Amino acid sequence: MQARPSPVLRFSPTAWAKLLFFRDHKGTEVGGFGVTSANDLLRVDDFLTVKQEVTVASVVFDDQAVADFFETQVDAGGKPEQFARIWLHTHPGNSPQPSSTDEETFGRVFGGCQWAVMFVLAQGGKSYARLRFNVGPGGHVVIPAEVDFGAPFGPSQREAWEAEYKANVSAEHWGLGWNSREDLLGQTDLARCSVPGDWLEELEAMEPAERRLVMDELAVRPDLWDETAEVVYDD
Amino acid sequence: MRILFINNDGGGFADYVDVTPDMTVDKFFAQKLPGREAGDFLIRVNRQPVARDYVLQDGDRITCTPVKIEGAAV
Repeated sequence: MQARPSPVLRFSPTAWAKLLFFRDHKGTEVGGFGVTSANDLLRVDDFLTVKQEVTVASVVFDDQAVADFFETQVDAGGKPEQFARIWLHTHPGNSPQPSSTDEETFGRVFGGCQWAVMFVLAQGGKSYARLRFNVGPGGHVVIPAEVDFGAPFGPSQREAWEAEYKANVSAEHWGLGWNSREDLLGQTDLARCSVPGDWLEELEAMEPAERRLVMDELAVRPDLWDETAEVVYDD
Repeated sequence: MRILFINNDGGGFADYVDVTPDMTVDKFFAQKLPGREAGDFLIRVNRQPVARDYVLQDGDRITCTPVKIEGAAV
């Protein structure tokens, strides 16, 4: 008797390229669902996003958008196991290890499903995939992930991906106004560029790892300020 | 009376089910998703949020989808 092959999460090259595009587009976290065919539930043919609010260190899906996504996918003939079982999101930095928030979401949202996968792709390129079973005794297993070049795949669609990004991803501008939210591709308002008085206090109140992420993000985003500009102080 | 039910729990479901004529949303949820917290789901009928005591009608589409899907790096 042959042993059953170990499960592997596979991405079509196009889906992988789209995930990388979203991860790298503005440097924030981003998330979505892996969509598969009915006969290969661990091969991601597409990465689809829903409306979401993101920062450099978090992503939150819009509840109504998730419901709309389910309805649209069902209308297109999909079954939930094809579009709602592989949860994908990115992390800044080099660590793809799930956070406590990731684990809480994976348990609460996907713990009632027969099976589900949490996949995290770090900015630095490392990834983490874990398959959980909720039937029988249940269990978890970390599985490898790879890009599958063995089947036909479509071309890059950067214009469509950019439009999807613009439609679905809204970010907090950590460098402009602490509580501001706006489309990343929108116009900035100079009146909003003042730093709130409690900015430093909020920074100091963060956990060291979160504070480090913010500082790292600011360090690699010279577009957030004009390094050559002179600062003029009024008396 | 038949309604279309969509949810991701268990094996996942996107199909028609028969319900009794007096079936309310909260009774339906308790039947189909026993042990689950209603607060963990957005329940919509025909793409609209509804009250828990809404009585399902023939041909309705009810979706129970997860809420607060969020990730974080730390």
